[in-house]
Amino acid sequence: MIKVEGLTRKYGAFTAVDDVSFVCQPGRVTGFLGPNGAGKTTTMRVMVGLTPPTQGRVTIGGHLYKDIPNPGRHVGVLLDASAQHAGRTGREILTIGAQTMGLPLSRVDEMLDLVSLDRTEATRRLRNYSLGMKQRLGIAHALLGDPSVLILDEPANGLDPAGIRWMRGLLKSYADRGGTVLLSSHLLNEVEQIADEMILIGRGRIVAEGTKDQLLAGAEHKTSLVTALDNELLSKALQEKGITATPAGSGLRVDAPPVEVGRTSVEHGIVLTDLRAADGGLEELFLTLTEDSQRDELPGQPTTAPEGTAA
Amino acid sequence: MSATAAPTAIDFSSTQHVPMSRLARVEIRKALDTRAGRWLIIGILGLVVLIEVIYSFAADNSDKNLQDYIQIPGFTLGYFLPIVIIMLVTSEASQRNGLVTFTLEPRRSRIVLAKFIAGVTLALSVMVLAVILAVLGTLLGIATGGDVSWHLDGGLVFYALFLSNMIGIFIGFALSMLIMNTAGAIVAYFAYTLILPSAVGILSAISDTFEKIGPWIEFNTAQSPLVSSPYSPTGEEWAQIVVAGAIWLVLPLVLGIGRLLRIEFK
Ligand SMILES: Nc1ncnc2c1ncn2[C@@H]1O[C@H](COP(=O)(O)OP(=O)(O)O)[C@@H](O)[C@H]1O
Ligand SMILES: [Mg+2]
Repeated sequence: MIKVEGLTRKYGAFTAVDDVSFVCQPGRVTGFLGPNGAGKTTTMRVMVGLTPPTQGRVTIGGHLYKDIPNPGRHVGVLLDASAQHAGRTGREILTIGAQTMGLPLSRVDEMLDLVSLDRTEATRRLRNYSLGMKQRLGIAHALLGDPSVLILDEPANGLDPAGIRWMRGLLKSYADRGGTVLLSSHLLNEVEQIADEMILIGRGRIVAEGTKDQLLAGAEHKTSLVTALDNELLSKALQEKGITATPAGSGLRVDAPPVEVGRTSVEHGIVLTDLRAADGGLEELFLTLTEDSQRDELPGQPTTAPEGTAA
Repeated sequence: MSATAAPTAIDFSSTQHVPMSRLARVEIRKALDTRAGRWLIIGILGLVVLIEVIYSFAADNSDKNLQDYIQIPGFTLGYFLPIVIIMLVTSEASQRNGLVTFTLEPRRSRIVLAKFIAGVTLALSVMVLAVILAVLGTLLGIATGGDVSWHLDGGLVFYALFLSNMIGIFIGFALSMLIMNTAGAIVAYFAYTLILPSAVGILSAISDTFEKIGPWIEFNTAQSPLVSSPYSPTGEEWAQIVVAGAIWLVLPLVLGIGRLLRIEFK
């Protein structure tokens, strides 16, 4: 179990991580989600003692990381897959790790097999690895000591779609066997499908946390996507009520909650073939919650993709 | 640590810490498992061989004693062993593998000690090889017509070969921990070992006062009694080695260790 308590890390006047607290439970995959520069890496660096906290602390299984004997045997860490000597071969990197942890060398081959790096690839130097291969090697390194806790910073970065699916399965089964998994990402869809629990961070602060359902439960719907047999009629009826509706795909995007659109259709006897909330998806929530920490101006409308297609 | 163990507390007490011997062995491996590291050491020994061969043909037959041959590695190693150390230490930052090194052993002082042990072990091994090469060189001296003496001055072996090279590798440690960048530390080392003594030499030539204080404040100058005949520094010379060593070795080493213990490996 990882427990982050009131963690703050300042760089001069800048607060990279601001009073962050959360817990990662064993048997669950916890997704740590936030835009670039939100403070994910800094938080994880503090976890493993690479960066000292300004305030607060992190414990793993009740201990500070620096007090864990032979920590590689208990906590698997992947912070940056490129942070290895570029002149070492993949196999040599794993061998050094295995030797430090006091593991038999057979473990190196097991891990290479696990992450599907073949024997020739393992003899290449790291500088000749693609990002995805480095990521696989990094995951292999994190799993070397058969740890019960995994801390992975953006492990899906650079993996191909098959690789992402493979990693998803790997981490899921790892958690099912009782492991604690914390993985970060700046991409929602990477995390959404694996994480049992999500921590959303923006500008160094936790902005939301919980399971996917818990996160969505609180969301208020303000726009709808609707398709009627007669879209024009519905559009007119809505406009009479002072509600804007703009064509979107085969239907309309309406600046009102679904209940309001449904009511209007009943009042005017218009048959609907599809009606749903246009906002309130996780991505929307993610963008709203981390809004003031976004770098890029977002268009006025939510960026959720699906347009009203008839079911 | 605390008595109030949460239900999810993990009991680590049955796990042993990584023993120092293992950490040191890994550090030795890290010094040799890259092309740069391996070829540097092969290159150093190759250079010793090359100079000995040239020397065998160029030198006077009366100067082909074991004593003469052993001086060749004595100064060759002095220039290059510290580079081995610099690469071993600075790669943690320049190649960024410090992220892994210091997560597998978060008590950084133990990594510092492991690197010292690894550096000294490597240096001693290279010195032993160099002595063997000096013996082979002497045999070549005989083959090229030399009138050879096998006499060996203990002072030469201990001061010129062992002590001055040990000082050199710890200068390498100090500079690399302070600068934590491979290229920067190598440049600094050559500035220290080549430019500084020349500057002091020039100043001493034009100023009598400077000639007197030079050996007290410049470590290379202070060490010259260690590496030149009769290889037995006087009391005053030892005092100069201690004073200049405090400035150029002890102080940077202490500051360097402090920096390595604190620095954020990114
Ligand atoms: N050593 C440092 N000095 C100054 N600022 C830093 C340092 N390390 C990180 N930061 C800043 O802290 C913020 C959080 O960074 P990081 O934790 O890497 O974000 P994330 O991993 O979520 O993208 C960023 O604005 C980053 O520039
Ligand atoms: Mg990051």
